[in-house]
Amino acid sequence: MINQPETGDLLTEARQVLLDSVAPELTGERKYQALMVANAMGMAIRELEQREQGRPEQTDQTVRAFLAERALEATAGDFETALARAIEGRCLDGTDPALRSVLRSLTEARLQINNPGYLKR
Amino acid sequence: MSALAETFCTFIVRQTDARSARVIDFDKLSGGAIQDNFGLTLELEGGSRPGRQEFVVRQDAPSGVTESLSRPEEFRLLEAAFKAGVTAPEPLWLCEDPQVSGRVFYVMSRAAGSASPRKLVKADFTTQQRRNIVRRLGAELARLHTVRPPQGSLEFLELPDGDNPALSRVALYRRYLKEIGEPQPVLEWALNWLEDNAPEPGPTVLCHCDFRTGNYMMDGDELTAVLDWEFAAWSDPCEDLGWLCCRSWRFGADHREVGGIGDKQDLLDGYREASGTDLDPLAVSYWEVMALVRWAMIALQQARRHTSGQQRSLELALTGRMVAQMEFDLLNQIQELEDGL
Repeated sequence: MINQPETGDLLTEARQVLLDSVAPELTGERKYQALMVANAMGMAIRELEQREQGRPEQTDQTVRAFLAERALEATAGDFETALARAIEGRCLDGTDPALRSVLRSLTEARLQINNPGYLKR
Repeated sequence: MSALAETFCTFIVRQTDARSARVIDFDKLSGGAIQDNFGLTLELEGGSRPGRQEFVVRQDAPSGVTESLSRPEEFRLLEAAFKAGVTAPEPLWLCEDPQVSGRVFYVMSRAAGSASPRKLVKADFTTQQRRNIVRRLGAELARLHTVRPPQGSLEFLELPDGDNPALSRVALYRRYLKEIGEPQPVLEWALNWLEDNAPEPGPTVLCHCDFRTGNYMMDGDELTAVLDWEFAAWSDPCEDLGWLCCRSWRFGADHREVGGIGDKQDLLDGYREASGTDLDPLAVSYWEVMALVRWAMIALQQARRHTSGQQRSLELALTGRMVAQMEFDLLNQIQELEDGL
Protein backbone atom coordinates (compact mmCIF):
# COMPACT_ATOMS: atom_id res chain seq x y z
CA MET A 1 0.00 0.00 0.00
CA ILE A 2 1.29 3.43 -0.89
CA ASN A 3 0.49 5.92 1.83
CA GLN A 4 2.50 9.10 1.44
CA PRO A 5 3.96 11.00 3.18
CA GLU A 6 5.54 8.27 5.26
CA THR A 7 4.83 7.86 8.97
CA GLY A 8 8.34 8.99 9.99
CA ASP A 9 7.94 12.13 7.90
CA LEU A 10 4.55 12.89 9.47
CA LEU A 11 5.89 12.41 12.97
CA THR A 12 8.97 14.54 12.30
CA GLU A 13 6.84 17.40 11.00
CA ALA A 14 4.34 17.11 13.86
CA ARG A 15 7.16 17.17 16.41
CA GLN A 16 8.67 20.26 14.78
CA VAL A 17 5.34 22.12 14.95
CA LEU A 18 5.05 21.18 18.61
CA LEU A 19 8.56 22.41 19.40
CA ASP A 20 8.62 25.53 17.18
CA SER A 21 5.08 26.85 17.50
CA VAL A 22 3.22 25.27 20.41
CA ALA A 23 5.77 24.79 23.20
CA PRO A 24 7.09 28.40 23.14
CA GLU A 25 3.55 29.61 23.92
CA LEU A 26 3.28 27.41 27.00
CA THR A 27 4.62 27.76 30.53
CA GLY A 28 4.96 25.61 33.63
CA GLU A 29 3.32 22.19 33.72
CA ARG A 30 1.84 22.52 30.19
CA LYS A 31 5.28 23.31 28.70
CA TYR A 32 6.75 20.34 30.55
CA GLN A 33 4.01 18.12 29.10
CA ALA A 34 4.61 19.43 25.56
CA LEU A 35 8.34 18.69 25.87
CA MET A 36 7.58 15.17 27.13
CA VAL A 37 5.35 14.62 24.09
CA ALA A 38 8.13 15.87 21.78
CA ASN A 39 10.57 13.53 23.54
CA ALA A 40 8.28 10.53 23.04
CA MET A 41 7.76 11.45 19.37
CA GLY A 42 11.53 11.74 18.90
CA MET A 43 11.93 8.19 20.21
CA ALA A 44 9.25 6.89 17.86
CA ILE A 45 10.93 8.62 14.88
CA ARG A 46 14.35 7.17 15.74
CA GLU A 47 12.88 3.72 16.32
CA LEU A 48 11.31 3.79 12.84
CA GLU A 49 14.65 4.81 11.32
CA GLN A 50 16.47 2.04 13.18
CA ARG A 51 13.95 -0.53 11.94
CA GLU A 52 14.29 0.67 8.33
CA GLN A 53 18.05 0.16 8.64
CA GLY A 54 17.59 -3.34 10.07
CA ARG A 55 19.38 -2.42 13.32
CA PRO A 56 17.21 -4.50 15.71
CA GLU A 57 17.98 -7.62 13.64
CA GLN A 58 21.70 -6.79 13.70
CA THR A 59 21.64 -6.51 17.50
CA ASP A 60 19.74 -9.81 17.73
CA GLN A 61 22.36 -11.44 15.50
CA THR A 62 25.17 -10.17 17.76
CA VAL A 63 23.51 -11.77 20.79
CA ARG A 64 22.66 -14.97 18.86
CA ALA A 65 26.26 -15.40 17.66
CA PHE A 66 27.59 -14.83 21.19
CA LEU A 67 25.25 -17.47 22.62
CA ALA A 68 25.94 -19.94 19.81
CA GLU A 69 29.71 -19.71 20.38
CA ARG A 70 29.08 -20.74 23.98
CA ALA A 71 26.65 -23.50 23.05
CA LEU A 72 23.78 -21.72 24.75
CA GLU A 73 20.44 -22.23 23.09
CA ALA A 74 17.75 -19.66 22.48
CA THR A 75 14.45 -19.77 20.72
CA ALA A 76 14.44 -17.46 17.73
CA GLY A 77 13.73 -13.86 18.61
CA ASP A 78 14.23 -14.44 22.31
CA PHE A 79 18.00 -14.11 22.47
CA GLU A 80 17.87 -11.41 25.12
CA THR A 81 15.91 -13.64 27.51
CA ALA A 82 18.39 -16.48 26.95
CA LEU A 83 21.29 -14.12 27.63
CA ALA A 84 19.66 -12.76 30.80
CA ARG A 85 18.98 -16.28 32.10
CA ALA A 86 22.54 -17.41 31.35
CA ILE A 87 23.94 -14.44 33.29
CA GLU A 88 21.51 -14.91 36.17
CA GLY A 89 22.34 -18.64 36.28
CA ARG A 90 26.06 -17.80 36.39
CA CYS A 91 26.69 -19.76 33.18
CA LEU A 92 28.84 -16.90 31.83
CA ASP A 93 32.01 -15.25 33.09
CA GLY A 94 31.06 -11.68 34.01
CA THR A 95 34.58 -10.44 33.30
CA ASP A 96 34.62 -11.83 29.71
CA PRO A 97 35.22 -8.83 27.37
CA ALA A 98 33.02 -10.50 24.73
CA LEU A 99 30.10 -10.61 27.18
CA ARG A 100 30.60 -6.98 28.09
CA SER A 101 30.75 -6.08 24.40
CA VAL A 102 27.40 -7.80 23.78
CA LEU A 103 25.84 -6.04 26.77
CA ARG A 104 27.17 -2.74 25.47
CA SER A 105 25.68 -3.40 22.02
CA LEU A 106 22.25 -4.01 23.56
CA THR A 107 22.44 -0.88 25.69
CA GLU A 108 23.74 1.30 22.88
CA ALA A 109 21.02 0.06 20.53
CA ARG A 110 18.38 1.19 23.04
CA LEU A 111 20.13 4.50 23.68
CA GLN A 112 20.25 5.18 19.92
CA ILE A 113 16.46 5.27 20.16
CA ASN A 114 15.83 6.63 23.66
CA ASN A 115 18.57 9.22 24.08
CA PRO A 116 21.39 9.21 21.50
CA GLY A 117 22.97 12.28 23.15
CA TYR A 118 23.75 10.14 26.21
CA LEU A 119 26.18 8.01 24.18
CA LYS A 120 28.51 11.01 23.89
CA ARG A 121 28.87 11.42 27.69
CA MET B 1 -8.97 24.76 49.06
CA SER B 2 -9.64 27.63 51.46
CA ALA B 3 -11.83 25.35 53.61
CA LEU B 4 -8.81 23.06 53.90
CA ALA B 5 -6.64 26.05 54.88
CA GLU B 6 -9.14 26.95 57.62
CA THR B 7 -9.14 23.33 58.82
CA PHE B 8 -5.35 23.31 59.16
CA CYS B 9 -5.42 26.78 60.72
CA THR B 10 -7.93 25.67 63.39
CA PHE B 11 -5.79 22.62 64.11
CA ILE B 12 -2.66 24.76 64.57
CA VAL B 13 -4.52 27.25 66.79
CA ARG B 14 -5.47 24.36 69.06
CA GLN B 15 -1.88 23.03 69.15
CA THR B 16 -0.33 26.42 69.93
CA ASP B 17 -3.07 27.78 72.24
CA ALA B 18 -3.15 30.89 70.07
CA ARG B 19 -5.94 33.41 70.79
CA SER B 20 -6.65 33.79 67.11
CA ALA B 21 -5.13 33.20 63.68
CA ARG B 22 -5.46 34.46 60.13
CA VAL B 23 -4.54 32.59 56.94
CA ILE B 24 -2.10 34.79 54.99
CA ASP B 25 -1.20 32.34 52.27
CA PHE B 26 -2.09 28.77 51.30
CA ASP B 27 -0.90 26.91 48.22
CA LYS B 28 -0.23 23.40 47.01
CA LEU B 29 3.49 22.75 46.63
CA SER B 30 4.92 20.79 43.72
CA GLY B 31 6.25 17.26 43.95
CA GLY B 32 4.92 14.10 45.48
CA ALA B 33 2.51 11.76 43.70
CA ILE B 34 1.81 9.91 46.93
CA GLN B 35 1.56 12.90 49.23
CA ASP B 36 0.10 16.37 48.98
CA ASN B 37 2.26 19.14 50.38
CA PHE B 38 0.71 22.49 51.23
CA GLY B 39 2.46 25.73 52.11
CA LEU B 40 0.55 27.55 54.86
CA THR B 41 1.41 31.00 56.21
CA LEU B 42 -0.48 32.11 59.32
CA GLU B 43 -0.53 35.21 61.47
CA LEU B 44 -0.92 33.82 64.98
CA GLU B 45 -1.87 35.93 67.97
CA GLY B 46 -0.61 34.72 71.34
CA GLY B 47 0.11 31.10 72.16
CA SER B 48 3.42 29.25 71.83
CA ARG B 49 4.30 30.52 68.34
CA PRO B 50 3.07 34.11 68.02
CA GLY B 51 3.54 36.18 64.87
CA ARG B 52 3.83 35.25 61.22
CA GLN B 53 4.59 31.55 60.84
CA GLU B 54 5.31 29.53 57.73
CA PHE B 55 4.38 25.86 57.77
CA VAL B 56 4.26 22.90 55.41
CA VAL B 57 1.36 20.47 55.83
CA ARG B 58 1.92 17.02 54.38
CA GLN B 59 -0.91 14.55 53.93
CA ASP B 60 -1.74 11.48 51.84
CA ALA B 61 -2.88 12.27 48.30
CA PRO B 62 -6.39 11.10 47.32
CA SER B 63 -4.88 8.20 45.32
CA GLY B 64 -3.82 6.71 48.66
CA VAL B 65 -1.00 4.68 47.12
CA THR B 66 1.12 3.41 49.98
CA GLU B 67 4.44 2.31 48.55
CA SER B 68 6.63 4.09 51.03
CA LEU B 69 6.28 5.08 54.67
CA SER B 70 3.03 6.29 56.19
CA ARG B 71 2.70 9.87 57.42
CA PRO B 72 3.02 8.93 61.13
CA GLU B 73 6.14 6.87 60.32
CA GLU B 74 7.61 9.75 58.36
CA PHE B 75 6.86 12.11 61.26
CA ARG B 76 8.75 9.84 63.67
CA LEU B 77 11.69 9.68 61.27
CA LEU B 78 11.78 13.46 61.04
CA GLU B 79 11.74 13.63 64.83
CA ALA B 80 14.69 11.23 65.05
CA ALA B 81 16.68 13.09 62.37
CA PHE B 82 15.89 16.52 63.83
CA LYS B 83 16.92 15.34 67.30
CA ALA B 84 20.20 14.03 65.86
CA GLY B 85 20.97 17.54 64.62
CA VAL B 86 20.16 17.04 60.94
CA THR B 87 18.94 20.20 59.19
CA ALA B 88 15.51 18.72 58.56
CA PRO B 89 12.20 20.60 58.70
CA GLU B 90 11.14 20.74 62.35
CA PRO B 91 8.32 18.20 62.82
CA LEU B 92 5.66 20.06 64.81
CA TRP B 93 2.34 18.22 65.08
CA LEU B 94 0.96 14.95 63.80
CA CYS B 95 -2.79 14.54 63.35
CA GLU B 96 -3.78 10.88 63.18
CA ASP B 97 -7.50 11.62 63.47
CA PRO B 98 -8.86 11.41 59.89
CA GLN B 99 -11.98 13.28 61.03
CA VAL B 100 -10.03 16.56 61.10
CA SER B 101 -9.12 16.96 57.39
CA GLY B 102 -10.28 13.66 55.91
CA ARG B 103 -6.74 12.25 55.95
CA VAL B 104 -3.81 11.76 58.29
CA PHE B 105 -1.42 14.72 58.11
CA TYR B 106 1.42 16.43 59.91
CA VAL B 107 2.72 19.98 60.16
CA MET B 108 6.37 20.96 59.93
CA SER B 109 8.34 24.19 59.69
CA ARG B 110 8.88 25.62 56.21
CA ALA B 111 12.47 26.19 55.10
CA ALA B 112 13.58 29.08 52.89
CA GLY B 113 15.09 28.65 49.44
CA SER B 114 14.70 26.18 46.61
CA ALA B 115 15.35 22.50 46.03
CA SER B 116 15.48 22.84 42.22
CA PRO B 117 18.40 20.66 41.09
CA ARG B 118 18.93 22.42 37.75
CA LYS B 119 19.06 25.83 39.42
CA LEU B 120 21.56 24.57 41.98
CA VAL B 121 23.80 22.77 39.50
CA LYS B 122 23.90 25.85 37.25
CA ALA B 123 24.50 28.30 40.13
CA ASP B 124 27.61 30.43 39.88
CA PHE B 125 29.30 29.27 43.10
CA THR B 126 32.97 29.90 43.85
CA THR B 127 35.25 26.90 44.45
CA GLN B 128 35.19 27.62 48.18
CA GLN B 129 31.39 27.79 48.25
CA ARG B 130 31.21 24.44 46.47
CA ARG B 131 33.60 22.90 48.97
CA ASN B 132 31.58 24.27 51.88
CA ILE B 133 28.28 23.00 50.50
CA VAL B 134 29.66 19.51 49.87
CA ARG B 135 31.32 19.35 53.31
CA ARG B 136 28.03 20.39 54.84
CA LEU B 137 26.27 17.56 52.98
CA GLY B 138 28.83 15.16 54.46
CA ALA B 139 28.26 16.58 57.94
CA GLU B 140 24.47 16.26 57.61
CA LEU B 141 24.82 12.58 56.72
CA ALA B 142 27.29 12.03 59.56
CA ARG B 143 24.76 13.44 62.04
CA LEU B 144 21.94 11.32 60.60
CA HIS B 145 24.11 8.20 60.81
CA THR B 146 24.50 8.62 64.58
CA VAL B 147 20.94 7.22 64.81
CA ARG B 148 21.39 3.47 65.23
CA PRO B 149 19.06 0.57 65.95
CA PRO B 150 17.29 -0.30 68.12
CA GLN B 151 15.08 2.80 68.33
CA GLY B 152 11.64 2.27 69.85
CA SER B 153 10.01 5.02 67.79
CA LEU B 154 11.46 3.58 64.54
CA GLU B 155 10.55 -0.07 65.08
CA PHE B 156 8.57 -0.04 61.80
CA LEU B 157 11.90 0.00 59.90
CA GLU B 158 13.16 -3.48 59.08
CA LEU B 159 16.76 -4.44 59.67
CA PRO B 160 18.75 -5.67 56.64
CA ASP B 161 18.93 -9.47 56.22
CA GLY B 162 22.02 -11.04 57.74
CA ASP B 163 23.26 -7.63 58.88
CA ASN B 164 24.52 -7.12 55.32
CA PRO B 165 22.70 -4.21 53.68
CA ALA B 166 24.47 -4.65 50.31
CA LEU B 167 23.61 -8.34 49.88
CA SER B 168 20.16 -7.66 51.26
CA ARG B 169 19.64 -5.06 48.51
CA VAL B 170 20.97 -7.43 45.83
CA ALA B 171 18.48 -10.10 46.92
CA LEU B 172 15.66 -7.55 46.91
CA TYR B 173 16.50 -6.33 43.40
CA ARG B 174 16.69 -9.90 42.11
CA ARG B 175 13.14 -10.37 43.44
CA TYR B 176 12.06 -7.16 41.70
CA LEU B 177 13.52 -8.37 38.38
CA LYS B 178 11.66 -11.67 38.72
CA GLU B 179 8.40 -9.83 39.40
CA ILE B 180 8.93 -7.52 36.41
CA GLY B 181 9.56 -10.58 34.24
CA GLU B 182 11.36 -8.86 31.33
CA PRO B 183 14.87 -9.91 30.26
CA GLN B 184 17.39 -7.43 31.72
CA PRO B 185 20.84 -8.88 30.94
CA VAL B 186 22.80 -5.76 31.90
CA LEU B 187 21.05 -5.48 35.26
CA GLU B 188 21.51 -9.22 35.93
CA TRP B 189 25.21 -8.80 35.14
CA ALA B 190 25.47 -5.75 37.44
CA LEU B 191 23.72 -7.63 40.26
CA ASN B 192 26.26 -10.47 39.93
CA TRP B 193 29.04 -7.89 40.14
CA LEU B 194 27.48 -6.32 43.23
CA GLU B 195 27.14 -9.74 44.85
CA ASP B 196 30.75 -10.69 44.07
CA ASN B 197 32.27 -7.36 45.09
CA ALA B 198 30.31 -6.45 48.23
CA PRO B 199 32.61 -4.72 50.74
CA GLU B 200 32.65 -5.54 54.45
CA PRO B 201 29.46 -3.94 55.77
CA GLY B 202 29.83 -0.81 57.89
CA PRO B 203 27.71 -0.23 60.98
CA THR B 204 23.95 -0.37 60.42
CA VAL B 205 22.66 3.20 60.71
CA LEU B 206 19.62 5.30 59.82
CA CYS B 207 19.99 6.20 56.14
CA HIS B 208 17.90 8.73 54.28
CA CYS B 209 18.07 6.61 51.08
CA ASP B 210 17.03 9.47 48.80
CA PHE B 211 19.68 12.02 49.78
CA ARG B 212 20.49 13.70 46.48
CA THR B 213 20.53 17.07 44.75
CA GLY B 214 16.86 17.98 44.38
CA ASN B 215 15.94 16.68 47.82
CA TYR B 216 17.58 19.35 49.94
CA MET B 217 16.68 23.02 50.07
CA MET B 218 19.30 25.69 49.50
CA ASP B 219 18.97 29.40 50.23
CA GLY B 220 21.89 30.85 48.27
CA ASP B 221 24.84 28.72 49.38
CA GLU B 222 23.22 27.77 52.69
CA LEU B 223 21.55 24.38 53.17
CA THR B 224 18.21 25.02 54.88
CA ALA B 225 16.47 21.62 54.94
CA VAL B 226 16.90 17.97 53.98
CA LEU B 227 13.58 16.84 52.50
CA ASP B 228 11.76 13.69 51.37
CA TRP B 229 12.29 11.16 54.11
CA GLU B 230 9.84 8.52 52.90
CA PHE B 231 12.49 6.00 51.77
CA ALA B 232 14.60 6.09 54.96
CA ALA B 233 15.88 2.70 56.11
CA TRP B 234 18.49 0.98 58.29
CA SER B 235 21.48 0.51 56.01
CA ASP B 236 25.19 0.97 55.45
CA PRO B 237 26.38 4.61 55.78
CA CYS B 238 27.95 4.42 52.32
CA GLU B 239 24.54 3.84 50.73
CA ASP B 240 23.62 7.50 51.34
CA LEU B 241 26.96 8.79 50.02
CA GLY B 242 26.78 6.49 46.97
CA TRP B 243 23.27 7.67 46.12
CA LEU B 244 24.33 11.33 46.41
CA CYS B 245 27.33 10.73 44.12
CA CYS B 246 25.51 8.52 41.59
CA ARG B 247 25.93 9.75 38.00
CA SER B 248 22.16 9.94 37.58
CA TRP B 249 21.95 12.78 40.11
CA ARG B 250 24.57 15.14 38.68
CA PHE B 251 22.08 16.81 36.35
CA GLY B 252 24.53 17.17 33.48
CA ALA B 253 27.51 18.36 35.61
CA ASP B 254 29.14 14.93 35.36
CA HIS B 255 32.58 16.13 36.43
CA ARG B 256 31.26 17.18 39.84
CA GLU B 257 30.85 13.82 41.51
CA VAL B 258 28.80 14.97 44.48
CA GLY B 259 25.35 15.73 43.09
CA GLY B 260 26.76 17.95 40.33
CA ILE B 261 28.03 20.35 43.02
CA GLY B 262 31.55 19.38 44.08
CA ASP B 263 34.21 16.79 44.85
CA LYS B 264 33.97 13.50 46.69
CA GLN B 265 37.01 14.20 48.86
CA ASP B 266 35.24 17.22 50.37
CA LEU B 267 32.20 15.06 51.09
CA LEU B 268 34.35 12.48 52.86
CA ASP B 269 36.21 15.24 54.74
CA GLY B 270 32.94 16.82 55.89
CA TYR B 271 31.72 13.40 57.01
CA ARG B 272 34.92 12.72 58.94
CA GLU B 273 34.98 16.12 60.65
CA ALA B 274 31.43 15.64 61.95
CA SER B 275 31.70 11.96 62.88
CA GLY B 276 35.37 11.13 63.39
CA THR B 277 34.84 8.27 60.94
CA ASP B 278 36.84 7.76 57.77
CA LEU B 279 34.71 6.14 55.09
CA ASP B 280 36.36 4.02 52.40
CA PRO B 281 36.07 5.81 49.02
CA LEU B 282 35.97 2.41 47.30
CA ALA B 283 32.95 1.41 49.39
CA VAL B 284 31.27 4.67 48.33
CA SER B 285 32.05 3.82 44.67
CA TYR B 286 30.54 0.36 45.19
CA TRP B 287 27.35 1.97 46.51
CA GLU B 288 27.31 4.31 43.47
CA VAL B 289 27.01 1.18 41.33
CA MET B 290 24.24 -0.03 43.66
CA ALA B 291 22.56 3.36 43.24
CA LEU B 292 22.49 2.97 39.44
CA VAL B 293 20.89 -0.46 39.80
CA ARG B 294 18.38 0.85 42.34
CA TRP B 295 17.38 3.77 40.12
CA ALA B 296 17.00 1.35 37.19
CA MET B 297 14.71 -0.81 39.36
CA ILE B 298 12.61 2.20 40.33
CA ALA B 299 12.37 3.24 36.65
CA LEU B 300 11.31 -0.28 35.62
CA GLN B 301 8.66 -0.33 38.33
CA GLN B 302 7.37 3.07 37.28
CA ALA B 303 7.16 1.93 33.66
CA ARG B 304 5.28 -1.15 34.82
CA ARG B 305 2.70 1.00 36.59
CA HIS B 306 2.06 2.55 33.17
CA THR B 307 2.15 -0.59 31.00
CA SER B 308 -0.02 -2.60 33.43
CA GLY B 309 -2.71 0.07 33.17
CA GLN B 310 -2.54 0.73 36.92
CA GLN B 311 -1.59 4.35 36.22
CA ARG B 312 -1.36 5.36 32.55
CA SER B 313 1.12 8.24 32.39
CA LEU B 314 3.49 9.64 29.78
CA GLU B 315 5.95 10.61 32.51
CA LEU B 316 6.06 7.06 33.91
CA ALA B 317 6.40 5.63 30.40
CA LEU B 318 9.34 7.93 29.59
CA THR B 319 11.00 7.04 32.90
CA GLY B 320 10.99 3.41 31.73
CA ARG B 321 12.92 4.46 28.64
CA MET B 322 15.64 5.94 30.88
CA VAL B 323 16.82 2.51 32.04
CA ALA B 324 19.31 2.28 29.14
CA GLN B 325 21.07 5.36 30.59
CA MET B 326 21.62 3.60 33.91
CA GLU B 327 22.85 0.53 32.02
CA PHE B 328 25.30 2.62 30.02
CA ASP B 329 26.62 4.20 33.24
CA LEU B 330 26.84 0.76 34.89
CA LEU B 331 28.94 -0.66 32.05
CA ASN B 332 31.29 2.34 32.17
CA GLN B 333 31.51 2.68 35.94
CA ILE B 334 32.18 -1.00 36.68
CA GLN B 335 34.89 -1.01 34.02
CA GLU B 336 36.44 2.15 35.50
CA LEU B 337 36.40 0.67 39.00
CA GLU B 338 38.10 -2.49 37.79
CA ASP B 339 40.68 -0.44 35.90
CA GLY B 340 41.36 1.45 39.14
CA LEU B 341 40.47 4.82 37.67
